[in-house]
Amino acid sequence: MATTAEGFDAHTDDHTHHGADHKPSFFARWFMSTNHKDIGTMYLIFAIVAGIIGGAISGIMRAELAAPGIQYLGWWVNFMGGEASFDANLHMWNVFITAHGLIMVFFMVMPAMIGGFGNWFVPLMIGAPDMAFPRMNNISFWLTVVGFISLLFSLFVPGGTGLGAGTGWTVYAPLSTSGSVGPAVDFAIFSLHLAGAGSILGATNFITTIFNMRAPGMTLHKMPLFVWSMLVTAFLLLLALPVLAAAITMLITDRNFGTTFFDAAGGGDPVLYQHLFWFFGHPEVYIMILPGFGMVSQIVATFSRKPVFGYLGMAYAMVAIGVVGFIVWAHHMYTVGLDVNTKMYFTAATMVIAVPTGVKIFSWIATMWGGSLEFKSPMVWALGFIFLFTVGGVTGVVLANGGIDDNLHDTYYVVAHFHYVLSMGAVFSLFAGFYYWFPKMSGRWHSEFLSHVHFWMFFIGVNVIFFPMHFLGMQGMPRRYPDYTVAYTYWNEIASYGYLIMAGSMLVFFVNIGYALVAGRRAESNTWGPGATTLEWTLSSPPPYHQFETLPVIEEHHDYHDHMSTPAKV
Amino acid sequence: MESTFVMTIPVRFAAHFRFLALLFAAVILAFAGQSAVAQDESLVPEAGTVGEIEPAASAEVADSDAVAPGADTDGYEYYGPEMIKGQPTSFEDDAGASMTFQDQYSQNGEYAQWMHDSILMPIITIICLFVLGLLLWVVAKYRRREGVEPSRTTHNTLIEVVWTVVPVIILVAIAIPSITLLARQYETPPADAITIKATGYQWYWGYTYPDNGGFEIISNMLSEEEALTRGLPGQLAVDNRMVVPVGVPLRIQTTGADVIHSFAVPSLWFKLDAVPGRLNERLLTIDEPGIYYGQCSELCGARHAYMPIAIEAVPMARYRQWIAAQGGTFGDEEEAAPEAAPLQQPESALPDAPGAGEPATVDTAPDGAAALDTQ
Amino acid sequence: MATVYPDDNRNARTGMLAFGLALAMLGLGYAAVPLYEMFCRVTGFGGTTQIASESDAAIAERLAGSGATRDISVRFDASTARSVPWTFKPVQNTDTVQIGVRDMAFYTAKNNSNIPITGTATFNVEPEYAGVYFNKIQCFCFTEQTLQPGQEVRMPVLYYIDPAILQDENADGLEQITLSYTFHRKIEEES
Repeated sequence: MATTAEGFDAHTDDHTHHGADHKPSFFARWFMSTNHKDIGTMYLIFAIVAGIIGGAISGIMRAELAAPGIQYLGWWVNFMGGEASFDANLHMWNVFITAHGLIMVFFMVMPAMIGGFGNWFVPLMIGAPDMAFPRMNNISFWLTVVGFISLLFSLFVPGGTGLGAGTGWTVYAPLSTSGSVGPAVDFAIFSLHLAGAGSILGATNFITTIFNMRAPGMTLHKMPLFVWSMLVTAFLLLLALPVLAAAITMLITDRNFGTTFFDAAGGGDPVLYQHLFWFFGHPEVYIMILPGFGMVSQIVATFSRKPVFGYLGMAYAMVAIGVVGFIVWAHHMYTVGLDVNTKMYFTAATMVIAVPTGVKIFSWIATMWGGSLEFKSPMVWALGFIFLFTVGGVTGVVLANGGIDDNLHDTYYVVAHFHYVLSMGAVFSLFAGFYYWFPKMSGRWHSEFLSHVHFWMFFIGVNVIFFPMHFLGMQGMPRRYPDYTVAYTYWNEIASYGYLIMAGSMLVFFVNIGYALVAGRRAESNTWGPGATTLEWTLSSPPPYHQFETLPVIEEHHDYHDHMSTPAKV
Repeated sequence: MESTFVMTIPVRFAAHFRFLALLFAAVILAFAGQSAVAQDESLVPEAGTVGEIEPAASAEVADSDAVAPGADTDGYEYYGPEMIKGQPTSFEDDAGASMTFQDQYSQNGEYAQWMHDSILMPIITIICLFVLGLLLWVVAKYRRREGVEPSRTTHNTLIEVVWTVVPVIILVAIAIPSITLLARQYETPPADAITIKATGYQWYWGYTYPDNGGFEIISNMLSEEEALTRGLPGQLAVDNRMVVPVGVPLRIQTTGADVIHSFAVPSLWFKLDAVPGRLNERLLTIDEPGIYYGQCSELCGARHAYMPIAIEAVPMARYRQWIAAQGGTFGDEEEAAPEAAPLQQPESALPDAPGAGEPATVDTAPDGAAALDTQ
Repeated sequence: MATVYPDDNRNARTGMLAFGLALAMLGLGYAAVPLYEMFCRVTGFGGTTQIASESDAAIAERLAGSGATRDISVRFDASTARSVPWTFKPVQNTDTVQIGVRDMAFYTAKNNSNIPITGTATFNVEPEYAGVYFNKIQCFCFTEQTLQPGQEVRMPVLYYIDPAILQDENADGLEQITLSYTFHRKIEEES
């Protein structure tokens, strides 16, 4: 503790003077908010709501897949206001997989990581009073909300063989153009436009904030790794999302205004859509995981009471992952009919990503090596993250091989792979970050016991869901199937049981939050002790409504990442 | 680096390996500096030699007595369930087999499976166990104790170079067989390869035999009950299989008539998208007579799950018999190609499955509105 | 509040730069359509064939005559989109041609419906690397084709294979190139 206060010389006392905590009225505070912490909170609540809906949809899917045959889809068609029929029921399935994918990617993981934790902690960690463009921050949030409403609305309008958009989250043409009649796909695409616009504005905001608003003395190479991760993520968003926006705008005009960008009938090429989509789509997966990398770095260092091992390597590994992420997109298109040299290039380029990723994994372990480890809730989630992300990563190396992918492409092996890196990678880091910062954000302590119960149930649950999917994929079960031949029954049934365990763990999570908000012990400024060295821990919990009105000064000689060792420069 | 590749790999792959070597050299330089150029010759030899497996001896075809119902029995008998080779295995039948790839019946499939089972699987298992071991070690060894101060090490150049270079070496070891596999998969079919064009429709497959008169076989999924009656696996069995000769090169072409489909057969390690407006082509040689099942592998709309693929691979003599039964011809027989598509009985139990041989009309155009009307 | 901001102008500048970057990427997204087409046309990516003039063909033929050349088989494939009620097929399935020497192939198309239908053809060759060597001098795919009810037409393709393919290591064992056409219904007519 002493080290921290000394190191940062943050003027904690200043924040307690009157005015710093003056809050606007309820409506102004929550609907016209320009406060990064309030907006962060709204993003987190929004992400939790979206996560509940997206998670419920996966429950519906696991129930349907628990046994061969079509069991419940007809019921859901009627429930959603449609008319059950053979094709409408099957279409319902495609709507579910589409909605699950879009919600989890655009309205759960991204808002939570970037909008939630990014908004909350980037300004705090760099010693800034707020984001660079507070009003734009508010616009970003509400664009995301309206986008989500547009997506939900699409579920209730015609989309071809039934209600809703059944194109998959990839929205491949021509299924999404001539193959889906009705406004549902337009609304789904429009929702991506809105969420994308919100994210681009957010990215602009983060880049400006991080470049211009760091406290005196905090050079780029002294920034906490979470801020580094947000910087790289913001650049990925800025470069990738506009390409998606262009691609889906062309889908809209192909659908409605007679253009033929992706329609072979007019000289277009449906394969071009896939190139554009994945030029966005591959960086997108790093957008979803890089902030998680950043959070895990903070957490591992905190609970090892050691500075991060190989700080610069960690920071530039993220930059490398971001850069290489832009030149590997066609590994999502191995079977589309690429020529041999293209496929070899993308095979080799894709495998390269394993190198900086490996650097990160080993650096986390090296950070713990020789440390003084304390297994508080954020740490166990971070440890779970490191292991499960490794498992997801190595199956990525398998899939990177274009020749191997000829069998595994579009099978459950791929589903298993990206859920290991996202549903376990990204989500584990989200929970790690949530438990890490919840006392800071709310000023209340969650129950460590319930957090550990949540962890173990969730850990077991998701592994039971997703590990058997490797087997199904290798046996050839294709993705996006509501029904399957009986040989696939056993492992599907197991996976569905896993969902129940996972769902149970989420109940524990909500009980835990409820308990904390109602009866949780008040949290101190620095909840995690001497290992927690970043600036947010110098502020009260929750931090004052306006913080750092006098900027904290990072002392000249102080090397943040080496502050416990000799002042050698990195 | 380059010379070692060329020595052990068939000459025609040399270009690919030069490319690979360059790429990895660049990577090594980028991540580890010049010192890291690893030359591990022990990695190389296996790659070129394994997988040179002789085609399996043509197993004697056990003619089934049971004539598949609905089959065109004009001199040709379809294989019965005992000839099914490529299909998923249930856990109850064989727990181990249900957790890995289907048995492979093509040389590239065998090579790919060897590569996965003997190279990739051991490597990724070891990596996972290694990381898990390290995690458990630090968790056990470095848990907080009174009076023990944490170390302050944040740098160790040697170990950082090692954990950069070793993964690069591992990736090169993976890339060699990987590139070999790709080169094999992309070998071009000879001019006399039997050509079959698989066309993906919403939601069934059509198989055209351009060298044998250009007739098109329409292949619909059988209903669950019908499949079970015939002893065939549900959702995989079809009314009309794609019949091909065994042991000879096949030129498989795919295209889509409406949206993108994907022609996939796991037991042959074959998957090729059927994209509207373009033709894709790949070589396939099937080692053994038998029935090989696959399923459409690109989301194509409502009945995506209900357009399976069934290949019946038969000896050449039987293939000729089958072609004749379809009214088709062979290039070496001077016969006129039949004008009309051959007669087949559509058997799909699904609502409005297309009639066999029916030409596409405006009514069957793939617009969702038409599909909605049928309800 | 404003006083603590380091420099509002500086923020605006950085913000505009970042936003400008996003706009540039948006532009690049749209530019990808012509760029991709150009890339395919120039490199033959995806099996895109080339367009050649008579004089190009003459040069190629001289080149083929002067050096070692070989025969290669060309396969002709025909598909129709589902919305095109035509019978469309090649007159000859395959043809053996000398590399560099021009050859004429024919397709036939018959309109089976009772309304006039206009179609346009898309095309590619397999293997894809051969696209850059496959030159068309004349092709029915260069223009739209309108068929009256019941009308049947013969449609020519005049093409040659660039002798440069002999220098391509990829193409060493290549015995056959498939040229594929797919007829699509002209967009305006579909609705």
